[in-house]
Amino acid sequence: MKSDRYLQALNVFTGLLMVIATGLVFLYAPRERTMGEVQRIFYFHVPSWWVGAIALFVTLVAGIAYLRTRDRKWDVLALASVEIGLVFITMGTITGAVWACPIWNTCWTWDPRLTTATITWLAYVAYLMLRSGITNPDQRARFAAVYGIVAFISVPITYYSTILLRSIHPVVFGPNNPAAKGTGDPLTPTMLQTFFFCLFTFTVLYADLLWNRIRLERLTERVEQLKARLLSA
Amino acid sequence: MLFQTTTPDTLNYLIIGYIVFFGLPLIFIGGLWWRQRNLEKDVELLKELKQDEQEQGKKK
Repeated sequence: MKSDRYLQALNVFTGLLMVIATGLVFLYAPRERTMGEVQRIFYFHVPSWWVGAIALFVTLVAGIAYLRTRDRKWDVLALASVEIGLVFITMGTITGAVWACPIWNTCWTWDPRLTTATITWLAYVAYLMLRSGITNPDQRARFAAVYGIVAFISVPITYYSTILLRSIHPVVFGPNNPAAKGTGDPLTPTMLQTFFFCLFTFTVLYADLLWNRIRLERLTERVEQLKARLLSA
Repeated sequence: MLFQTTTPDTLNYLIIGYIVFFGLPLIFIGGLWWRQRNLEKDVELLKELKQDEQEQGKKK
């Protein structure tokens, strides 16, 4: 199939981007002076959350589209996107804790950012639990769409928690970051180039995983159809 | 870090972090591959069953 060939090309392209991104992180970006090597976690940590937020936003849009059209393809997209989003926000949360161990001298603290991030993670784990608890496909899709829309509230709350509340989580971009206020060092050009390349790579990785996951869901539907035909014959 | 004069050795944490970065997506991709393999087996089996049923129907 033509689409399969495109998917394989995307798989190879994504793999290549990941190799280059890893090379940039370890060989191109300089070592940060005060944190040492652990600062390199930043290059994959922020893109993980970026992709997580995109994935959950796609679920929100797919949920709205499903409620408007009742077309199953939107439900498939929402489910695929939540699964991938959860992988990335889990990655972001764990690696954030790993970074915090030597920098904050504690791996976890109930800081506003960490607390809201945990709430987001739990909200989307609950999304999958909700889906697995409903057997009627139409009812499942409808409930999941509504839940996916409501649960998205946790994503902007997580993002703005460091801006609106007192938090020890660093703010690297935007008007509130210490470099913009003149109280901290900005990222060097090589750090910025590495960061934006990683951001692009993770976005492509998300698209690739999403395509693969949707393809799997289509195969699942085909099996269900074949089973139904066999039983009805 | 307030009166720090040297760069701390945090390499171990970096290694743990990147094990997570590569480990979790690999587990997810492995899961996708495993589910796809099982589904393809199911498709083959169901096709065979359908073919058998059609052949039996013709004999009758």
